[in-house]
Amino acid sequence: MDRQEYLRSQKEDKGRKVCGVFPAQYPKEILWALNLAPAEIWDPPVSPELAAGHLQPYICSVVRQGLELLLQGKAGVCDAFLFPHTCDSIQNLASVVNDYIGLDKPCHFFYHPKAPHGAAAKVYYQEQLKALARGLEPLAGPLREDELKRRVAQGQRVAELYGQLYGQRAAGRLACSNAGFYQAARRGEYLFPDDLVPYLEGFLQGAQGTAPAGPRVLLSGVLPNPPEILTLLDDLGATVAADDLLACSRRLLIPPSAANDPWQALTEQYFAMPPCSSKGSPFSERLDFILGQCHKSGATGVIFYLVKFCEPELFDVPILTEELKKRGLPCLTLDVELNQGLSGQMSTRVEAFLEMINS
Amino acid sequence: MTVAGGIDIGASATKVALLNERGDLLGSAVLRSGVDFALSASRGLDQALKEAGLEPHQVRVIFTCGYGRNNVPFAHQTRTEIAAHATGAYRHFPRALTVIDIGGQDNKIIKVDADGRRTSFKMNRKCAAGTGAFLEEMALRLDLDLRHFDSLARRAEDEAILGSYCTVFTASEVLSKIREGVAVEALIKGLFRSVVKRVLEMDLMEGQVVMTGGVVAHNPYLLEMMQESLGQPVLVPPRPQLTGAEGAAWLALKSLAQDNRQAGA
Repeated sequence: MDRQEYLRSQKEDKGRKVCGVFPAQYPKEILWALNLAPAEIWDPPVSPELAAGHLQPYICSVVRQGLELLLQGKAGVCDAFLFPHTCDSIQNLASVVNDYIGLDKPCHFFYHPKAPHGAAAKVYYQEQLKALARGLEPLAGPLREDELKRRVAQGQRVAELYGQLYGQRAAGRLACSNAGFYQAARRGEYLFPDDLVPYLEGFLQGAQGTAPAGPRVLLSGVLPNPPEILTLLDDLGATVAADDLLACSRRLLIPPSAANDPWQALTEQYFAMPPCSSKGSPFSERLDFILGQCHKSGATGVIFYLVKFCEPELFDVPILTEELKKRGLPCLTLDVELNQGLSGQMSTRVEAFLEMINS
Repeated sequence: MTVAGGIDIGASATKVALLNERGDLLGSAVLRSGVDFALSASRGLDQALKEAGLEPHQVRVIFTCGYGRNNVPFAHQTRTEIAAHATGAYRHFPRALTVIDIGGQDNKIIKVDADGRRTSFKMNRKCAAGTGAFLEEMALRLDLDLRHFDSLARRAEDEAILGSYCTVFTASEVLSKIREGVAVEALIKGLFRSVVKRVLEMDLMEGQVVMTGGVVAHNPYLLEMMQESLGQPVLVPPRPQLTGAEGAAWLALKSLAQDNRQAGA
């Protein structure tokens, strides 16, 4: 069942409303507890036609593609939209959608604090969680505390499974292609947890085996798109042994909180997530995270796979590459537009990079 | 005698080199790549074999590199042109190097350490600024034969200052300069300067610099301009356009030797 069919079935068979969610971090447990199905909008495969009239040319293609989806009327399955405050461009997108294009569906906003995270940040975050829940209640009905608690526990199970998936891959005990891994990992962008948990359990069981013996790299950036990078690495016998992707490890590898109060648990989990450019995490934390992932997974090179014009990432990358190189980790930086494939030059650069780290 | 072949199928030209186990060049060929990379590789190999006085079965192994490296069905393995040019340059100058390869479509800056290992590389992306394609496009706009560029640039008494590396913008600038009466020699020298400046901004030039590729082979004045800009001598292999093909052949020989060692062990 493809994503559109699945989301339609959520409405028709399960009676759930669908909430289109723009990148990146948001408390999906609150949506689940309200019986809302989140459908994340990262890289919809729509051809660019209308969005250019609303955006400056230097806006990234995550925002461009997301707006295009709305303007082409291809997000009809969604009953509402949620815009986390990930970066300036997504905040501006929220304004364009909510204030200017006259969408006849409710738009919600979610603000999360940027680093450095002091005590006040935690109070603020928890207030934002509750404000979001209150804001969604007119659409979805009242939030029951016991249901939120159940969904938080379910979210912890999802995170545990992702942790196993990443752990098995890092240990070289996952016999699946790079493309297969990310197809599976990204199912979480639209599967309801009742379906996601058994899916991930099945995938983990079916993918057990030995990873190829070729070069191992860490992939950093926003998301693994264009997906041709994954098939290219597969063809060249290389494994993405770990990642530092905003759409993936930076929000999937969540240490569980032991707090009994679900609001407290969600708060603790947010602040325990891996560091991220979109949260303003210090370079030192990002560097330590990447180095730690490389160490654990045996990755001997880092590929920065950047969406062109992604400002939060572009601020960090020059310093990260400089520091990683100083520590003996070769880096390759590729900047790409979503859904536009890899040029011959880019493929050559990837292949040459693998030759270099493998020699 | 063990013979290995290297075929570098670039965007503009296909280059073939046949080496014996000592690395001596036995035969070579350079021809247009055209639209059928497999055919140009095959024709180039035939030419090189003829020059070397060899039969096809005497070539034990063939490695390809370059833009069309994956389009040659008779190749045993492929390597990137980055690996091939680094190897080809290091073979002639075994020391820490910065290799500048100006190709038809790509420019590459490759750093090689004293042991011949690549430590980094830079490559232009979609833009053709500073590549052979840039000069080809200008030749078209100026209605000049590209083969005369080098001698024209040498004769220049002055140099046109061009503000952009961009092929499209430079074409407009060149038209303006023609209207202003700037001599064509000065324009060509300005175009060469644009290539040099574009290459120099791609990466730091550290240690001994080597230039390879077809553009420098056909336009040695570029080398002189590069030396002048860097303020140091720049080395060029004996057959700069064949550097990638020779590098691929050398990598093929090394691979063969490794296979033989493993079989012996």
